[in-house]
Amino acid sequence: MIEERDVTDLQTAVEPTAPATTDAAVSLHGVTKRFPGGKGSEPVVAVDAIDLNIADGEFFSLLGPSGCGKTTTLRMIAGFEYPSAGSIRIFDEEVGLKPPNKRPVNTVFQSYALFPHMTVAQNIAFGLEMKDVGRDETARRVAEVIELVQLEGRENRKPKQLSGGQQQRVALARALVNRPKVLLLDEPLGALDLKLRQTMQIELKQMQEKVGITFVYVTHDQEEALTMSDRIAVMESGHLLQVGPPEEIYDRPRTRFVADFIGETNLLDATIRDHGIAELRDGTQVRLDSHEPAGTAVTLAVRPEKLGLVRADADRNHDLDAVHGTVARATFMGNAIAYEVRIDGGSEPFPVEIRQGNAPGIEHFAVGEQVRVRWSPSSASVLED
Amino acid sequence: MATTLTPPDSDQTSVPPAKLPPGLETNAEKAESRRGFLIGLPAYAYLVLFFALPLAIVVVYSFATRSTTGLTVLADWNLQSYARLTDSLVVAITWRSLWIATLTTVVSLVVAYPFAYYIATRTPRVRAALLVLVMIPFWSNFLVRTFAWRLLLSSDGPVTRILETLGFANPRLLFTPSAVIIGLVYGYLPFMILPLYASLERMDHSLVEAARDLYATGWEAFRKVTWPLSKPGVIAGSILVFIPSFGAFVTPEVLGGTGTTMLGSYIGRQFVGTASDWPFGAALSVAILFVMMLAAMFYFRSGGKDL
Repeated sequence: MIEERDVTDLQTAVEPTAPATTDAAVSLHGVTKRFPGGKGSEPVVAVDAIDLNIADGEFFSLLGPSGCGKTTTLRMIAGFEYPSAGSIRIFDEEVGLKPPNKRPVNTVFQSYALFPHMTVAQNIAFGLEMKDVGRDETARRVAEVIELVQLEGRENRKPKQLSGGQQQRVALARALVNRPKVLLLDEPLGALDLKLRQTMQIELKQMQEKVGITFVYVTHDQEEALTMSDRIAVMESGHLLQVGPPEEIYDRPRTRFVADFIGETNLLDATIRDHGIAELRDGTQVRLDSHEPAGTAVTLAVRPEKLGLVRADADRNHDLDAVHGTVARATFMGNAIAYEVRIDGGSEPFPVEIRQGNAPGIEHFAVGEQVRVRWSPSSASVLED
Repeated sequence: MATTLTPPDSDQTSVPPAKLPPGLETNAEKAESRRGFLIGLPAYAYLVLFFALPLAIVVVYSFATRSTTGLTVLADWNLQSYARLTDSLVVAITWRSLWIATLTTVVSLVVAYPFAYYIATRTPRVRAALLVLVMIPFWSNFLVRTFAWRLLLSSDGPVTRILETLGFANPRLLFTPSAVIIGLVYGYLPFMILPLYASLERMDHSLVEAARDLYATGWEAFRKVTWPLSKPGVIAGSILVFIPSFGAFVTPEVLGGTGTTMLGSYIGRQFVGTASDWPFGAALSVAILFVMMLAAMFYFRSGGKDL
């Protein structure tokens, strides 16, 4: 990781603004943001030399915990912050140092930032008025977008008179009415309750497909990112850890952080014994899709729902790897049952989280029962760190 | 399912709730409001004794008669003093007071707004320090500070010198309306800065970002978003500067000349000066109070509708 970062820094230092021409909607090259620290302290690096290409028409999510640099990255694309180094291109036009009003993007703010002294219609028309689109055109497009977000009849309300979900729609309409080339969304669903958030996730995705605009979506909610995105970039401490489609991020996490941050996961220490064979701490040998040399210490990540539980004396299925253990905890969750199983075959017992769907024919296990935990070799990822 | 969910001892719910004697809660509420009144009593008493009562005396005096020796006769109640409000001298002084107060308000607003915006956008620590700086002048006596301006503005004072070196021929400031306005702006600027700061500080800065994001230039964002949203502060600050400027007494007395008499000084003269006409002074005061109340009501009404 650290070595890679040094190389990128060097490249940006040598050729600060020479990104390859791409057909990407948004293209970041060596983008860095440093904020001045307190008196006498070092500047804080919020975003550290990231390279990223977001394709036209893509629903792209920047995912990470608070303080990881995702919002700063979005704000640099919007123009609210200028990058300390690097290049930001939107459809091949360098915009890094342009003010927000000169960029072909619009933003949906976390707090919605609706103008409280204007009606819904005035809020939505604001951008068109600033662009001098003309009265008829403005009226037509405002009506069109109000229909799109289903706010007919509320044109003359003030934002305060609307519910959170409706305000969210106004914020979306106010941005979409300008037909931006890229729509930036900063945790737009964060303030809504769970039910509404889930409905809006689906609506947002459908709307994005309908208007065909590139969405760059910032969130700390992994479920939200997995549900809506075409691709996800996982960020931590100003770095991009992994960029890929949701399935890849979820099924093939590359680092401990990604495996742990996205969903729940079991991290198992293992040592490579032979080509495609690893030994767990309890001495069990398992198969792997990996080409690490023998003797390497690795960490395996396996999702709880990709593990199966059977009785210790059940027939062995040779397509699956299995370790022995004891049920330490069983939690009924309605649609599933979560188990904690202690793998106690070796010198150091370790817990494993397992989630089995609650369906007819699936056996339930009680605390203290001897079990075998099984999984298919392809569902275990070998982490890089 | 449904039957198993019914609690076995469901008849428990049929126990009637304990009944309170009627009227008990009204008594409790009354006691509470009585306590509230007792807490407010010192302030009530103070205001009645030192504000409402003197005000009533002023109103009573405004209908009294001035004797030939200049004493006030509390008899022969009449509207003579009010009739004199339309004298050309009174009208001229009123107009002068109006435009001096208006100009003072406008200059204060123009000077205070950028500064209030600057304070509101600083970090909390810097903000606190700047606000203290705004208040510091209040720590010394207003009259003393006004006399200090007399030195600054005098014909051989620094301000005049600077104007001379800048090429102004024979600048004369002291004892002119300009000096009065400078003094009033100086005295009441904090009353403009503080409410402006309060309304700007409350404003969500992402609204400005949203405006910029929607293609507004910096100036357009200010005109369409920041300015309308800071209007309550503008109105409050303007009232707080206009009203005392309109009735100013010390500043025009100290910095103004014979041609800059304002209503405040004119009223003062009716009581302590040569004129000595208490009923007329009282009538002037009541008239100003009435006009100010109307203006304030109008301001708050129109300001309230926008929000």
